[in-house]
Amino acid sequence: MSRITFLASAVLATTLTAGLSSSALAAAGDPVKIGLMLPFSGIYAQLGEAGRDGLKLALKENASELHGSPVEFIELDTEAKPSRAPELASSMLNQHKADFVIGPVHSGVAMGMIKMLRGKDTIMIIPNAGSAAATGPLCSPNVFRTSFSSWQPSYPMGKVALEKGYKKVYAISWNYGMGRESLDAFKESFTAGGGEIIEEVLLPFPSTNFQSHVSAIADKNPDAVFTFFAGGGAIKFVKDYDAMGLRGKIPLLGSGFLTEGTLQAQGDAAEGVVTGLHYAEELDVPKNREFREAFNTEYGHYPDIYAVQGYDAGQAIANTINQLNGDISDKQAVIATMEKLTIDSPRGKFTFSKAHNPIQNIYLREVKDGVNVVQSIAAEALEDPARGCKL
Amino acid sequence: MSTELFFVQLINGVQYGLLLFLIASGLTLVFGVMGILNLAHGSMYMVGAYLVWYFVAVTGSFTAAAILSAVIALGLGILIERLLIQRLYNRNHLDQVLLTIGMIFVFNSLQSILWGNDPYGVSVPGALSGSVPFTDNSSYPVFRIFAAGICIAIAAALYFVVSKTRLGMLIRAGESNREMVEALGVNIKSLYTIVFAIGVMLAAISGIIAAPMRSIVPGMGESVLITCFVVVVIGGMGSIKGAFVGALLVGVISTFAAVLMPTMSNMIIYIFMILVLLVKPQGLFAK
Amino acid sequence: MIFEKRTERIFLAIFFLIALCIPLFLEDNSFFVGKSTTILILAVFVMSLDFLVGRVGLVTLGHALFYGLGGYLFILITPEYEAVNFWIYAFYVLGISALISLVIGAVVLRTSGIYFIMITLAISQMGYYFFFDSLEFGGGDGLFIFMKPETSIFGLNFLNLDNPTHFYYLALLAVLITLLVIKIILRSRFGRIVEASRLNPERTEALGYNIFAFRLISYVIGSTLATYAGLLFALQYGYVNPQFMTWEMSGTALVMSILGGMGTIYGAILGTITYEGLLYLFEHMSEDWMLFMGSAIILMVLLLRKGLAGYLEKLLEK
Repeated sequence: MSRITFLASAVLATTLTAGLSSSALAAAGDPVKIGLMLPFSGIYAQLGEAGRDGLKLALKENASELHGSPVEFIELDTEAKPSRAPELASSMLNQHKADFVIGPVHSGVAMGMIKMLRGKDTIMIIPNAGSAAATGPLCSPNVFRTSFSSWQPSYPMGKVALEKGYKKVYAISWNYGMGRESLDAFKESFTAGGGEIIEEVLLPFPSTNFQSHVSAIADKNPDAVFTFFAGGGAIKFVKDYDAMGLRGKIPLLGSGFLTEGTLQAQGDAAEGVVTGLHYAEELDVPKNREFREAFNTEYGHYPDIYAVQGYDAGQAIANTINQLNGDISDKQAVIATMEKLTIDSPRGKFTFSKAHNPIQNIYLREVKDGVNVVQSIAAEALEDPARGCKL
Repeated sequence: MSTELFFVQLINGVQYGLLLFLIASGLTLVFGVMGILNLAHGSMYMVGAYLVWYFVAVTGSFTAAAILSAVIALGLGILIERLLIQRLYNRNHLDQVLLTIGMIFVFNSLQSILWGNDPYGVSVPGALSGSVPFTDNSSYPVFRIFAAGICIAIAAALYFVVSKTRLGMLIRAGESNREMVEALGVNIKSLYTIVFAIGVMLAAISGIIAAPMRSIVPGMGESVLITCFVVVVIGGMGSIKGAFVGALLVGVISTFAAVLMPTMSNMIIYIFMILVLLVKPQGLFAK
Repeated sequence: MIFEKRTERIFLAIFFLIALCIPLFLEDNSFFVGKSTTILILAVFVMSLDFLVGRVGLVTLGHALFYGLGGYLFILITPEYEAVNFWIYAFYVLGISALISLVIGAVVLRTSGIYFIMITLAISQMGYYFFFDSLEFGGGDGLFIFMKPETSIFGLNFLNLDNPTHFYYLALLAVLITLLVIKIILRSRFGRIVEASRLNPERTEALGYNIFAFRLISYVIGSTLATYAGLLFALQYGYVNPQFMTWEMSGTALVMSILGGMGTIYGAILGTITYEGLLYLFEHMSEDWMLFMGSAIILMVLLLRKGLAGYLEKLLEK
């Protein structure tokens, strides 16, 4: 895997000849400039890299759709730091004149980017950050999302819990946007069906001091536990839960990120964990099998949801360019085209809602032998309610 | 809270505190003896964790990996002290801060280059993977008991070395009066190298012990660094006894705070530290 | 005169000359004007820290608290969709911040050394958690400032803050004012006593001065200057986030100040430009930019005993 940014020299040349502004129309044959604002260092680096790898694979596979326009990537490391977000977004928009800006992973960075880019002459595609506001009160015609809204994976789990006969559930997550919104979504459907949340615990983000909470859960003895954690926190929580002997005694449910990209590190501790997500690695969809093999051939390891989301962003771009015969100079036309796309995603086909969030299936998965096995479709073509969006 | 839950949380807190002590011991030792503020201390903890993960993957044995990682960390400590830290003895604290911040950058980058950014886990070694029945609903993992035991053993060893051996005497002498020790013909340069290397190794060992209980992710060094400093400051900079007491206090308080007032729990430790400093501005066991 | 060293005068002359001309050459490229503006704003923040750490002797790792407060206080006191008067509201924001720093200072200045560092760090982290955990103040996602304030004085309106070039000059003005304020204070009797209390606290106390009071006032001044920088930073892109007040932000400012030459004040400007410049260079060069950045910092610490300003002075002072 090359570590030196592709076309770094092109970027350097651009910066050294500062002050050039070109208002040339981008016609077929002109490079398509795709800016990547993702974390390539720090705790979220894995998600940034996966998104980038997926995106590049999609553009490589669909090169013919680009009608001869070469692709120019501009990669900027956000370090998941919100303080740099508006400046980097300004760099993409004003300095590099990117046609598409893909990013970010972190919701705080998303807010900073949206402040800079909404309503401007570029298309922003979010390949991960699930914050409700992006396709809610802050939605904008030129902002799309190919990932999820925080509500989507967790909402169907309430119904799932009720169907499994759980009446009293202990909810726990981190005290930040994604955590709160996930628990709220679960609560919404669970309590509507008569369930009771006997305790809701919000830990300071990103504390991984779970030991005391696992003990408290054992003491409270609920029918089940619902949680949202991701990355390192997900690994530790599942391991702590198992280490204290709760696995198998008190069922563990979660938003799918609990077992996404973490199964190898979690090992046996994850067996039996039930989650909901808009994807699963063994999903029986032909496109998924093709994609997984292609990704493995290209990069030497199998992809996860973060790569799928990046891949779909790439497909969205390629399909749009194709339908416009390579002419992306009219951003309104680009938006209009992208809005109507059906993305042939490894997660199953999806379309965009009015708020530009994917309308997608949420799959019910259970970990068996180190793999998320799809049990059923927990919710079909689930559309985020986009509360507050005026589109 | 029932009495049973209270005792459960107390044990959780003590176990967490013991691990905190292990992490903090190296920091306070180095500062106390050499006056060096090593901000890259958290990076050493990270290095220990990544090294043990790597060697477990290569050798399949946790014991072998642990020993190998500890030895490499010791060597790394010697290298860093000789190459970089040595040049800072006559400079002020802020230059040390700057240098060690630069080291954090370098170590984080090396981690990314050498081992990649995916999150990793280390499974608990087979012999220690059982659990002891604890309450009706839960059981206590043997490995955690083992880890607590290691922390206590190392604490005891440190106490023994510092108070009962010649090296310990030199360390204590060097802490209070460096020139005098030099004048007495002791090679203070070698002493400093040894102390720094031990400090680094202690941090790495804590990373090794913690690895099966945590996830191994980028940035794990920085997340323990602050807690480490809080422990050391509460206990009194340079005092190992202080670090031990401070760590246990922080461990127990943060454990109870986490369940009694979860959203405020991160602030509680800082509030506690501020209160201690207002009453005893140099920490509990200040020198 | 307040700029005593030849190096200082030369550097500042060149700096302001170039700084005044930058927007004229880069008018079209709003990104670079914006980037330069951010560097100027950071320079104000770092100068205020340099004053506190290098001259007053208060090593604080909680300086970013006031930086972050600049934006949050503004949002707190202004109506959401109204363009208020910049000067009046800046005055209010600075006033509130001064009060806060007075209270905090009265508590933390009872400690010193490493304990002072930790207690200031703790307070800024608590501020961070307060805003991060709060739903009303935007939490971890932060908040937008939708309407930029207007800048009329007695009805005369000459700066439009939506124009990047105008905002740039406002930031440059802030650099100039901060520089002058700090230098004048340091040259005054007050400043000399404060420095004396850093160099020899016991003797200064013995001479009858209440150094606690002197330090407290200095702390308030330094923190208020940081708030002004933070206010500009928030207004530049209309975005605030709790991350602006973390210890990492304080630490980065400390790095810039030490790099530039602790205590020289003009060194803070030099340090900020150098750090940001190196960061920009390395980021665009390689994905492993952190390795280069860390190595550059280590090299500079080892080779430049008194920072960049110290090195320049060695070359230029007779």
